[in-house]
Amino acid sequence: MASPAPLPSEAPPLHERLVIRNLPDNAALTQQLLSPIWRGGSRWWLWPLLFCSSGLLALLFFVLIFYTFAEGIGVWGNNIPVAWAYAITDFVWWIGIGHAGTFISAFLILLNQKWRASINRIAEAMTLFALVNAMIFPVLHLGRPWFFYWLIPYPSAMRVWPNFRSALPWDVAAISTYFTVSLLFWYVGLIPDLAAVRDSAPGAIRKRIYGLLALGWRGASRHWQRYRIAYIILAGLATPLVISVHSIVSLDFSIAQLPGWHSTIFPPYFVVGAIYSGFAMVLMLILPIRSAFGLHDVITERHLDVLGKMLLVMGMLLAYSYVCEAFTAYYSGNQFEQYTYLFARPMGPYAWVYWSMTLCNVLTPQIFWWSYLRTNVVALFCASVVIFVAMWAERFMLIVTSLNRDFLPSSWHFYAPTWVDWGILIGSLGLFCFLFFAFLRWAPFIPLSELKRTRFELRREAEHGLP
Amino acid sequence: MTDERRDRWAEALRGRSGAAYWRGLEELLDTPEFRDAVRHEFPAAVDEIPEGITRRTFVKLLGASLALAGVSACTAEPAEKILPYVTQPPEVTPGIPLHYATSMVLDGYATGLLVESHAGRPTKVEGNPAHPASLGAAGVYEQASVLQLYDPDRARVVRADRRRSSWTALTQALAPTALRTHVGARGAGLRLLLEPTSSQVVAELLDRIGTLYPDSKRYYFAPLASGHRESGMRAALGSAFETQYDFSRADVVLALDADFLAAMPFHLRHARDFAQRRHIEQPTDEMNRLYVAEAMLTPTGGLADHRLRVRASEIESLAAAVTNQVMGERAAQLSNIPGSARRAVAHLRDAGGAAQSPWAPWAQAVAHDLAEHAGRSIVIAGPQQSAAVHVVVHLLNAALGNVGQTVWYTESPIVEAGEANHALAPLAEEMRAGQVDTLVILGGNPAYTAPADLDFARLLRALPRSVYLGLYENETAALTHWFIPAAHYLESWGDARAYDGTPSIIQPLIAPMYDGKTGSELLAALAGEDDASAHSLVQGSWRGRVGSANFDAFWTDVLHRGLVPRSAAPRTQASLRWRTLVRALEQAANARRAPAASRGRLELAFRQDPKVYDGRFANVAWLQELPAPVTKLTWDNAAMLSPATAARLAVANEEMVELGAEGRVLRVPVLIVPGHADDAVTVSLGYGRAGAEEIARGVGGNAYRLRTTAAPYLVPGATLTRRNVGHPLAITQMHSALHGRAIVLQATLEAFRRNPRFTQDHKGRVLTLYQPFQYRTGDQWAMTIDLSTCTGCSACVVACQAENNIPVVGKADVLKGREMHWIRIDRYYSGTPDDPAVVMQPMLCQQCEKAPCEYVCPVNATVHSPDGLNEMIYNRCVGTRFCSNNCPYKVRRFNWFDYNAEITETEKMVKNPDVTVRGRGVMEKCTFCVQRIRRHQIQAELEERPLRPGEVKTACQQACPTQAIVFGSYTDPEDGIVRELAQARSYAVLHELGTQPRVNYLARITNPNPAMGGGER
Repeated sequence: MASPAPLPSEAPPLHERLVIRNLPDNAALTQQLLSPIWRGGSRWWLWPLLFCSSGLLALLFFVLIFYTFAEGIGVWGNNIPVAWAYAITDFVWWIGIGHAGTFISAFLILLNQKWRASINRIAEAMTLFALVNAMIFPVLHLGRPWFFYWLIPYPSAMRVWPNFRSALPWDVAAISTYFTVSLLFWYVGLIPDLAAVRDSAPGAIRKRIYGLLALGWRGASRHWQRYRIAYIILAGLATPLVISVHSIVSLDFSIAQLPGWHSTIFPPYFVVGAIYSGFAMVLMLILPIRSAFGLHDVITERHLDVLGKMLLVMGMLLAYSYVCEAFTAYYSGNQFEQYTYLFARPMGPYAWVYWSMTLCNVLTPQIFWWSYLRTNVVALFCASVVIFVAMWAERFMLIVTSLNRDFLPSSWHFYAPTWVDWGILIGSLGLFCFLFFAFLRWAPFIPLSELKRTRFELRREAEHGLP
Repeated sequence: MTDERRDRWAEALRGRSGAAYWRGLEELLDTPEFRDAVRHEFPAAVDEIPEGITRRTFVKLLGASLALAGVSACTAEPAEKILPYVTQPPEVTPGIPLHYATSMVLDGYATGLLVESHAGRPTKVEGNPAHPASLGAAGVYEQASVLQLYDPDRARVVRADRRRSSWTALTQALAPTALRTHVGARGAGLRLLLEPTSSQVVAELLDRIGTLYPDSKRYYFAPLASGHRESGMRAALGSAFETQYDFSRADVVLALDADFLAAMPFHLRHARDFAQRRHIEQPTDEMNRLYVAEAMLTPTGGLADHRLRVRASEIESLAAAVTNQVMGERAAQLSNIPGSARRAVAHLRDAGGAAQSPWAPWAQAVAHDLAEHAGRSIVIAGPQQSAAVHVVVHLLNAALGNVGQTVWYTESPIVEAGEANHALAPLAEEMRAGQVDTLVILGGNPAYTAPADLDFARLLRALPRSVYLGLYENETAALTHWFIPAAHYLESWGDARAYDGTPSIIQPLIAPMYDGKTGSELLAALAGEDDASAHSLVQGSWRGRVGSANFDAFWTDVLHRGLVPRSAAPRTQASLRWRTLVRALEQAANARRAPAASRGRLELAFRQDPKVYDGRFANVAWLQELPAPVTKLTWDNAAMLSPATAARLAVANEEMVELGAEGRVLRVPVLIVPGHADDAVTVSLGYGRAGAEEIARGVGGNAYRLRTTAAPYLVPGATLTRRNVGHPLAITQMHSALHGRAIVLQATLEAFRRNPRFTQDHKGRVLTLYQPFQYRTGDQWAMTIDLSTCTGCSACVVACQAENNIPVVGKADVLKGREMHWIRIDRYYSGTPDDPAVVMQPMLCQQCEKAPCEYVCPVNATVHSPDGLNEMIYNRCVGTRFCSNNCPYKVRRFNWFDYNAEITETEKMVKNPDVTVRGRGVMEKCTFCVQRIRRHQIQAELEERPLRPGEVKTACQQACPTQAIVFGSYTDPEDGIVRELAQARSYAVLHELGTQPRVNYLARITNPNPAMGGGER
């Protein structure tokens, strides 16, 4: 394990610090970053432990899914009026987490942000696995999940189409499109590195497997030229999707006339919340990876600083959304809206959820006004965990506190989750971890080729005296 | 044991249906085990049963009988000729249901019904429009009784000393030759215990038994037939008459602890008559005024213009105070009232401390109002009130000149009404003294309902011989030697009289499913006529009364109509007996003066349960899950307290407490009820059952344990001890405040007259960017609900459940908020929690023209019909539940589980074949009874005519006793709905949302007495 290089005594301001530093030459770098794939790293004995624990949770997830399919949604705590609760909260939460990856990869490549190279693959994998989880929930949540395909517009013999006025068929379309593009983007990015893995793989079987996955990449100039074009096009496709997916998810709520849902601020508000939770998750993932694999030269203080700033910006935007929502409700003069925003949420039965989530989401990122804390690993990690949980609570608050007290007080009813609700939530985290560990174990999770390219570009810029 | 039986057969029959079902049975018949069981099934083989019967063998026999009962009883038409109701086609057309008139009897009083029958299987009970006790409406008990018919827990075998026996063996044992050896030649050891009855057949049979066994005695007992009413009547008028009321002619009504709109005999009729004077169309219309004094909030109290919450024990004094003042104000007209009566009333008033009571001004104002409306008012007291209250009320009605106008007296339809044998205590005394050898119990459940001080269960067990005819193997069945399964009334021939004396014939809709016997058949066996069928007994009795000439025409006519027309009991000339009256009042005054009525002591009142009655309907799941009219409590009973008393005793909702009375204790949870009288606690009877009824067992606490002969309704000094244990109560409505929202609109009559258009802002079109949809011509369905006349009795809820195959979900799911009722009665409180005003609002799918549920459904499973119905397509629904989230009225219901998966074969028979039985994972909701609309449309089309106004009735509308619900097509100017919609006080709930509901409400108009502060409540 490489120890972090001591900072120069007179360190430059954070934003001027190097994105990468002290890297060995290309061959050694390849060797350093790919060796864990073959040898499991210095703490190889941790892998079985990680796979077993996350695998068991993933198993719990599937067992509970089966249980729900067999018995019905009644095994959850949902009721009338709270017909949506944990499953939809989990769904929106996972979708939100799935936003940071594409944001980092696609948005930032278009904006030519060089710092993205070190962490983009981890973020993309996170997106993908979060989406796998997110896509399970809407189907699981149906009363009759075996008919989920009725939401897809296909020329049926019954000549019945989905209802295009509803947000839900668009939801299906948006999420499946997003998943497809994210998968392609991730995979296309992986191809040169898979070729590198193939080239360094010991044994014929591994060579063959990675060779198949590398799709015959030889690193020819023609390959590189077309690869760059394809990659940029995919980035261009993925970028609007970052905005559209969560906007459409937000319409699942805002097309309803339910106080607490019926709000035009929802699309931007949801996108901001999604990116916010996604960045928190990225931090939660890269900080342990950075330390476990000794990647301090690849994922530097510069990255941490940028991510900390992102949390701050997104947190402020979110706070603005909160204020704006509440103010709109107050200013509308609509008694139902006012009740939901000014009474039911802050003073109702779920007031503790409301206050803890608001305070966590708004106050936590404020610590990143201090540059010291932006590079402090412990502070970053703790803040990320708090935001990660609070963003789940935000979706819960948004869904459940709107539903449990709406127009007619006679129908108001409390909602309490069952053990199955909790088990599914925890199990979905298990599935995510399992997939992510597999990715760390068997895939080049630092984009080698991009890293080398970035180093080359940075060096050339330095030679030419560019900043 | 029931489980074992069922499981065994469920196992054998699993996966078989239709043709395979029969194959399955044949296969089963071939097993040696089954052959063995069948051999034992036949009565001739009964003797073969070895003496030491094992539990295992017993189970086998029960199992066999269950299967055979199922095979033989499926939709069998009764053997005798029964006749369809006149408005239906005489011939049966497959798929077209028939209606038959019959009657249901509760504590002796008949309510005329029409029962819908699909291919020989009764599915729905409706009121008989021609019957005076119904006028087309039906209450919760009547509606739910059809589920009791198919109850899988019903008893199926005749038993003798725990062993299987047969009807033949029983009739042999009861034949006079055999019985005389036990009860003596003159029957000195024979006692009969019946429920109060108005049946002429039964009366005649009892006479014949009396002739055969001159020394035998008969008793009548029903836990809710108090005897107070009768003894008050005897003291005041000298005989046990029945008081008849005409609420349609009463301008002012004072109800003293009397829930005459929802609980007392003839309440359906009373509610209809009362509502006539409540439903106003023009601001200039006159309205009646209702005063209610009561402890526990009832539907009648909720509708009151002035409700006084007062402990039940204070009613005596209150009634006396009102009477005293009325007599003072009308002194000129009342010269015939002797001074002793005036003094007795004053004594009774003062004994209860009326002058110091906080309600003295209330009583004064009410008395003044009554006196001003003399001859056009009614005072009515509840049956649970003391005899003295009834005496005072008779005096008061006479003093007001109401007798002969709005109130009159008739002979009671009840056999031997008011006699001393309408009680259990003398029988228990005889049993204790060893004078009883054979006790024959017909119906009821005395081992469970008997007053606790009688120790009736022990006495019953100790009897040498006892016979019990009952629907279930209940608490009483467990203690008797002989048990005979009773025929349900829908399987029986019989006769009965309504409260007003009108006789009707009970005709069966189906042959007895489990070979049940009627009371008349058992009595005939006792009388030595053991082969007489109930049918021949009834027909014979009426032939004797009507005469043979024209009897067939008479019989046909009576069966068609369901009653003997124009046969109500004539008015009797009853005059007050001053001597007994004065003595009764003085006695009551002295009794009251003796123990100083101390405040701060807890007064315990028992009440008839609005759902399970006296416990007899405790196994009917529809009723257990029906939210109680005021408290919205399901699946439990509770100690109901006022908020102030709960605070004083430091108890909270859903906390287990121990109620104690005279050394007996009962554990029940606390339920705080706004509007309850302070220092009083009310408990419903009928829970805590311990028989073989699986649904009823263990639900709630048995309040009969605290009840004594001396204090059947009111225990003055009860104790309440905290147990520090929680007990969750499944209540369907958690929030009762309106939060200033325009959900229920109400005004006083005065305010309505000042501003008739006060609902103007809550109806009509709302601003929209879109072109309004032009509905095609043809019928456009709409509904109005009059909040002025809705009592919240919940008959509509059960009617809807029966009509639309709505499942029962059980207590655990009700606690989670998953009850399935398509129509619910929302109850809102306003004012202080101690003494709130109450309003009931039936809430069902509003059939919005711009339905929020429709546009959010991703698969087009809920769409609009051209006639304005918001339709639900079950087989397209995938269950996203978005529609429910977007429904501002939250009237959609979701099948969280497959609620119909585990119902038994018999329970399937109650399902309405015209309505889909919904599976798991789909949404459902009120359809405006679309199956009824379509049936009538098809019928009209066949007859090449348009639909007639009022031809289509929804189930809720049909059941409503007050006709608060009106349904029809607003494109037909002749239809009643047009007039209702055009009323000044109509409005739409949540109108501002722009959903444009097809259900409109008529704002509640109250008529408070201006002299009492106009009371906005």
